Parts: sequence; C-alpha cells; structure tokens
Amino acid sequence: MNEGILLQGVTKTYSRGGEELRVLDNLDLTMDEGRFYALMGPSGSGKTTLLNLVGGLDLPDSGSVQVAGQDIRSLRGAALSAWRARSVGFVFQGFNLIPVLSALENVALPLALTPLSRKERRRHALAALDLVDLGDRAGHRPGQLSGGQEQRVAIARAIVTDPKVLLCDEPTGDLDRAAADQVLALLQRLNGEMKKTVLMVTHDAAAAARAQRIVHLDKGRLGSIEEVQAEQAAGAKP
Amino acid sequence: MSLLRLVPRQLLRHPLRTLLTIGSLTVAIFLLCILRSLVTTLDATATTARNDRLWVQSAVSLFVGMPAWYPDRIAQVDGVQSVARWQWFGGYYQDPSNFFAQFAVDPQKVVDMYPELIVVEGSADAFVAGRNCCMIGRGIANDFGWKVGDIAPITGALFPHPDGADKAWELEVAAIYEPGARNFDDRTLFFHWKLFEETLTTPEDSPGVGAMVVRVKDDVDPSVVMGAVDDLFMDGPQRVQTTTESEFQAQFVSMFGNIPFFVSAIGGGVLAAVLLACINTMLMAAREQRREVGVLKALGFSDARVGSVLLMQSLFLTLVGGGMGMLLAKGIEPGVVAATSSFMPGFLIERETYLMAFIITVLAGVVAGLLPAWSTRKLTVVAALGARD
Amino acid sequence: MRGIAFSYHLRSLFVRRSATFLTVLGIGATVAVVAGVLALQQGFERLYTDAGRADLAVFLRPGATGEGDSIFNRDRGRRLINTVPEIAVGDDQQPLASMELYLAVRLRRVSSGGETNVPIRGVQPATFGIREGEITVLEGRQFRPGQDELMVGRSLLGRIRGCELGGTIVLNTTPFLVVGIFESTGPSGSEIWGDLDRILECLERTGPSRILAQLKPGSDIAAISARLKNDKVVPAQVISEKESLSSQTEMLSAVLKFLGAFLGVIMGIAAVFTATTTMLAALADRTHEIGILLAAGFRPVGIALGFLFESLILGLLGGLAGCLLVWPINGIETGTTNFQTFTEVAFGFRVTPMVLTVSILFALVLGLLGGGLPAWRAAHLAPVKALGRR
Repeated sequence: MNEGILLQGVTKTYSRGGEELRVLDNLDLTMDEGRFYALMGPSGSGKTTLLNLVGGLDLPDSGSVQVAGQDIRSLRGAALSAWRARSVGFVFQGFNLIPVLSALENVALPLALTPLSRKERRRHALAALDLVDLGDRAGHRPGQLSGGQEQRVAIARAIVTDPKVLLCDEPTGDLDRAAADQVLALLQRLNGEMKKTVLMVTHDAAAAARAQRIVHLDKGRLGSIEEVQAEQAAGAKP
Repeated sequence: MSLLRLVPRQLLRHPLRTLLTIGSLTVAIFLLCILRSLVTTLDATATTARNDRLWVQSAVSLFVGMPAWYPDRIAQVDGVQSVARWQWFGGYYQDPSNFFAQFAVDPQKVVDMYPELIVVEGSADAFVAGRNCCMIGRGIANDFGWKVGDIAPITGALFPHPDGADKAWELEVAAIYEPGARNFDDRTLFFHWKLFEETLTTPEDSPGVGAMVVRVKDDVDPSVVMGAVDDLFMDGPQRVQTTTESEFQAQFVSMFGNIPFFVSAIGGGVLAAVLLACINTMLMAAREQRREVGVLKALGFSDARVGSVLLMQSLFLTLVGGGMGMLLAKGIEPGVVAATSSFMPGFLIERETYLMAFIITVLAGVVAGLLPAWSTRKLTVVAALGARD
Repeated sequence: MRGIAFSYHLRSLFVRRSATFLTVLGIGATVAVVAGVLALQQGFERLYTDAGRADLAVFLRPGATGEGDSIFNRDRGRRLINTVPEIAVGDDQQPLASMELYLAVRLRRVSSGGETNVPIRGVQPATFGIREGEITVLEGRQFRPGQDELMVGRSLLGRIRGCELGGTIVLNTTPFLVVGIFESTGPSGSEIWGDLDRILECLERTGPSRILAQLKPGSDIAAISARLKNDKVVPAQVISEKESLSSQTEMLSAVLKFLGAFLGVIMGIAAVFTATTTMLAALADRTHEIGILLAAGFRPVGIALGFLFESLILGLLGGLAGCLLVWPINGIETGTTNFQTFTEVAFGFRVTPMVLTVSILFALVLGLLGGGLPAWRAAHLAPVKALGRR
C-alpha cells in the first residue's frame, strides 16, 4: 500500500461560459510518502486543480485519487471533511487566516474538530507556533503581523493536527524574497524532520528548486518529473 | 467549542452595523409588544368583568332610556337582590375635549355592588350622605387638580342645567377612588340620582332610566334572571336587554369593528420590515465572511458547524435586540397606561405577549441566519477562496 | 464642484441589488404601514367633509355637541321653521326645512351576529327636496309618509341583518318593512331612513334631534345662531352642515393621525437603521475606489453628495414600493364606530394624492437620514488610507 499520493486516470473538466474545459486529462501520477514535491506548469496547466483534488476540495470526473492510503472518491460530505481535518494541511497564497482571531486562536482552530481538551488544544497550538518560531506572537491578530509571519502562522495551523500531507498553493506568491526563503526553509524542515509529504504548487523556479522533485504539468497532462540535485537544493539555502 | 468564539468577534468587526441592527429589532419588538397589548387589553376589558352583576338596557338603543317604573318592577323578580339605576350624563368640564364618563347613580347601591371602587381619599359614606356630592376616579382628580371638598363644575351637554345651557352642574367631590380591578377605569364620576332627577324639571328632559345594574342573589343562576327580566317587557312599552357585565362591556369592544384587525395588519408590516433588516445584515455579514467560510471548510469543518457560526451571529443580534425591545416595552408600559386610560382602562402587556415577542425574535434570528448559512452550504471551498473580499 | 456621475451611483445600487432590494422593501413596508393608516384617516374624514354643504343650516339645542345629544320639542321645532326668515322656500311654497330624529339603534351584524349601533334617521318629506341629487334610490322606492316603512343606506346591505329589500327591522316592538335601498355621499350612506313621526312614536321619543334647513343665498349662519341662541321660545344654535359633519371627525381623525405619526417615527427609526447599514456596506465596498477619486482630485463634498443621492434613490424606491404595497387597499370598505356619535360608519380606504405625497416625502426623509452618516464618513476618508484598503 502506497502511503503517498496516487492518481490514476484522473480527468477533470470545467464548463466556463458554456465551453468545456478539460483541465486534467487522464493523468497518472505517483508521489512517494515523505518527499517534497514542487508542482510547476504554465497558467491553465491544472496545477491548482490537481492540488484541490488531492486535498479533497474537489472531486475528479473519473479516475481515482488515493492519499495516504485513502481513496478520496469513496468519501462524501461530512466523512470527506473529517478526513481532510485529519489527513491534510492546507497553506494558501493569500494566507487565509481569520482576521478576527489571534495567531494562537487561528492555529488552534483545526483542533476544535478533535476530542482534545481546551488545555491540550492550547498546548498543541503553542507548540506549533513555536515550531514556526512565532511563539512570541501568539496574541497578535493577523493584521498586526507581516506577510511572512502570517504565512508561518498559516503553516502552523496546517500542521497542528499532525497530518501526513501538506498541500501548499503558491505559498510564497505574495511574499518578498527573504520572507519566501524563510517559509521554504520551514517547509523543508517539516519535510525533513517530521517526514511530511509536501506538495507545493509554484510558478517560481527558485522556490521549486527547494523541493526534492519537480513535477511539470502541461495542458492537463504529465510533462516530466525532475529529480532536484541534493547539492542544488542545499545550495539554495541562505 | 472554539468556533463559537468567532461569533462575538465577527459581530464586533462592524460594531456600528451590529448596533444599528440591534436598534432596528429593539424598536420593532417594542412596537409589536405595544400593538398586541392594545388588542389584548381591549379583549380583557370584556372578559374580566363580573358575572353576578347584570346590566339591563333598552333593547332599542344605547341612547334610549327606559320608563322610570322599570327598576321597581325588576326588583320584584325572583333572585334579584338589588337594582341600581345608572344614567349616562354626557357632560364635560369647561371644554368638550375634556371628556370623561359621568353617571347619575343610586350611591349606596353602587358602593355596595362595586367593591372594585377603592376609596383612597375622602369617604364613601360622605359621598352617599351628601345629595350634591360626587365620587371621582384618581385619573380625573389628577387631570383637573380636584381634591376632596372641591366643587367639580360639569357642563351638561346632554342634560343642560335648567338655569341655562351655560350653567354647570356643581358637584362636591366627597371621595376619590382607585380601581381595584383591571377592567375598571379611574376616570369616572358618580353623582346622586336624586340630584339629577330633581334638577331636571321639564318632563321632556327626563330620560327615564338609562341603565340598571342588577345584583343577583348568591345561589341563583344569573341566566334565569336574565330571561325573566327580558320577558317582563317583551310586549312593551319598551323591550329591554339583560346581559352579564362582561357581555355589556363586550359591546363597547365590538364597536372598534375592524380596528383590532388593522392593528394586527400593522404588526405584520412591522414584522416584515424587521425581518428584512435582519436578513440584509446577515447577507452582508455572510458576503464578508465568504473567504473565512472557505477556510473553515478547507480545514474540515462541516457545513453545519460553519453555518452555525452565521446562525449564532443572527440569533445573537435578534435576541439582544428583541430583549431590549421587550425591556423598553416594559419600561414604557406605565406611560401607555396613563395615555390610554380614558378610552381603554387597564393597559397591560401580558405574559403571552412577551412570549410571542420572544418567539418572533428567535424565528427572525433563525430565518435571517439560516438564509446565509444555507447559501454557504452550496459554496465550494474553491469558489469561496477564489472570492476576493 | 465636481461630483461623481449619478449613473455611477445608480449602477452601484444595481450591483449590490440584494441589499438594495431588501432595504427598499424595508422602507416600503414602513411607508406602507403609515400610508395605510393615513388612507384610513382620509377615507373616514373625506366621507364627512366631501358631503357637507355650506348652504344647509343645522339647528341644534344650545349646548349640544352634536345631533346625538340634541333634542327639540316637536311643536317648537315647527314654530322655529316658520319663524326663521332665512330659510328658503320650495316650489310648493313650503319652507325647505325638515325636522330630523337621529338615534343609534341596536341591530345585529350579518357576519358575527353581534350587536352594533346603526344610526336611524327619521325625516320629513321636505328632506327629499333639500337633498335633491344627493340621495339616489338604487332599488325599490322611497318610504311613504306615515307608513311603517324604511329605506336603508347601501353600505348597510349585507352587513346588517334585515337591511335588504323586503327585509324587516323591528324598532322596539313595531316591525318596519324595508322598501328601498339608497345611495348617498357622506355618512348617511350608513344610515336607515324612515318617516319622522312613525319613528318618534315607535321609539317613544319626545321630539326630533335637529332641524335641517336650506338657507336663502347670502344668509349668514353665524348671525342666525347669535340671534337664536337666547331666544325665549325656541333657543337654538346653528351651524352649517359642512361644519356639523367635519366636527364629527375630529376625534377619530386625531387618533388616526397620531397613530400614523407614532408608527412612522418608530418604524422610521428601524428603516433608517437599515438604510444606514446598507449605505455603510456600500461605502466599505468602495473605499478603495473613493481613495482613487479623492486622489484624482474629486472633492469630498461631491463624494458625500453622491452618497446622499444614492441613499435618496433608495428612499424613493422604497416610497414607490410602499405606495405599490398600499395601493390595493384603496377602496376597500371597512367599518368602525365613530365614538363621537357612537354609531358605526362604513367607509373605504382612500389612497389620495395627499397620502401618496406624504408617503414619498416620508420615504425620502428616511433615505436622507439613512445616508447621512455614510456620506459624512465618505467625505472624511483620508485618500492615502482609503487607497491602502482593498
């Protein structure tokens, strides 16, 4: 059983303005557990759609999607939500923190879905914030943080339930170079130390170079899978 | 449940809007309480009256008197304890707009029959003893500044003083009463039948007897007495109509015709307006929170839990607003009592009215909350996160 | 002064149409309630004021507040008619004057079976001369003098038991036959008419309530009243029929006007709050745009006026919605007791131009008040800060 991500014959079409748009076309793709993948491709190549399918935010028209041994198509509604809460963490380009909640409360939010006690939730959330080096910003609202800090809070929120898979959609898209580097280093660390499977959509080659493998998509089909040289990845470190 | 923490935070995001919405609800629920109470007070006037007192009136018209010998005849009917004469006087103090009820009565009998008249100043005995004495309600005493011992000059619109239409009937205030029951107003003046009868000299001025109150003996079925009295005069000279006191009062309530229905219709309009206000606010809130809804869903929160955040916001708004509206109504109740006592004594906001207001409050909250909550159900994460706020 | 094109604001209302729609309906409901009460008041008042004639004199007992509490001795009434020179003379050389008895009698409603007070009027033949053109017999015929016959106003038809052609109405112990149905402008459309003397006798009344007389052109009613007030034989006070009728509307009219104003203020508060909420949201949505406009040199006053304009449009639309909502009640017949006469009168809601004008003005005021705060805020936005907000 593959504990990574397994896509077989995945097809997804959208209709926009009456026009059928085949975003993913009979795609087969296997991603190993515990590796850091970057997903690249031109606009409209289906990167984000692929990410949404893996995260169970969207369902394929045909084909199967397996994540950490779970066939996503067999899940519906509440079961899918519960699986998502347990198994995947999301990091978005726009951070998507809840503006009216503090950093700590944002991080603790997914724990509301667990049976943990209030005290334990707080402890877990603080630990996650410490992990992203923002333990001292626990009481700040998102509006009081920098973009890089916001994204790190978002990453803390994504890992607080200890999911196997981390899905990142252009996580550095809204950040300057220095902040982006910090975020990428954090993702590398989570992959290396905590064995998270990371799947990161990006159009930035420098960001993609921080991954272990780069998956190239083109018009809904698999282009190539490129192994990143270890020294290249290491060399990009600041 | 930490999601609930979102509810007050989201409401505080736009404190002004929250306040305005609560304000709308406050005035609307207040208005509904007052409007419904007007209707229930009207109904209560009729239902709280006593049934061991019967009223005998002309079957022809409210405004036609019965022959002067009727009371003695009715007193002989089996089961009748006593008969008191009442005559609507229809006068006013100084100006016709200073309107209140005056009755010429048999003083001792009225004092005996109506324990609801609680004398708080002067004494009932003094009222009964003096031929030109009168007993007045607290309301008119306050309005016109009359005290015990003062002369109340009443111009007789219906019964002009024989010395000239401009001359007032001069009545000495001997007692001031407060009503001891809800259906009783505090704006009535009672004076002596003897004075009334003896002052009017010409026969065409004499009205006969306007109405009679019959006190039934304790162990007698009032309906039997009612039938017996009506039968006495079936063939004339003037038919009478005997009813229980509550039926007698109900006839005045029924005079309002469709007015209670209009008041209810107005309540419907108020309801519609306030519901629209709540829905408006909640749809705005939902639009702003679209992205956050998407995030919560992506994190794995179920539709129901995400929707409940919106529903709770809505319920909070309506419950606070509705609660304040009810408090406002409660606080203003004494003022309304004073303002309406002349034509509608005993204004009271009943417990059922508060219950109704509470139910409406909750329903408005649920409707205004469910609409946006339902629309977020259909909202996919992808669409929600794509939305620019 | 440079402002933003008004079409920009109209478009904005359209873009935010769900909020616009809800706000307009909210204002509309408020306006409709107030307009409904006003239409009721208008229907009631116009019933009395449209009908009254200035050339008809009403003679009442001195001190009486209306015909309900007025009474004359029949012989002295006759004498009064013959001695007042201002009373016009008809073709038959008889004075155009009629003694009338007015009394509310107990009759039962068709619908509920409950009692109500229906005004009955005993008149003399001269009445038909005086009322020529005002009274139309729709069905049957006029009652004949000296007979136990009645004719009933059209408004009573179907509402009061016995009020139909061929029906019987018992006055005390005497049955009267309904021989006609008549239509009349004014409150007499809710009355029962019959022969004065028959009704006086059957109801055991000592005399008529008032004398109605047509005056010769140019007669001064006030002068007649002053002269007769202290007359030794038949004292009387005299007013025009117009005045007599309109004085009967004062109480209920005042109550309804108060009710309308009370509801208008209370519901108006809620409507203004809703409009403010909507306009604040419109402002929040467009903060960035306003920053651009301010940076481009538009003056804050112009921007504030634009928001007021937008809010006035909301008010106007709400007013129109309210008028549309209230329009269907125009003409609906209803009845209530006029507590000045203690009789039930039937009248229709009347959505008069006055009602519509007041409604629209009221709605505009609501819109203006609702737009005030958002407009003030818009004018006080700092361009840099506004630009920073997305």
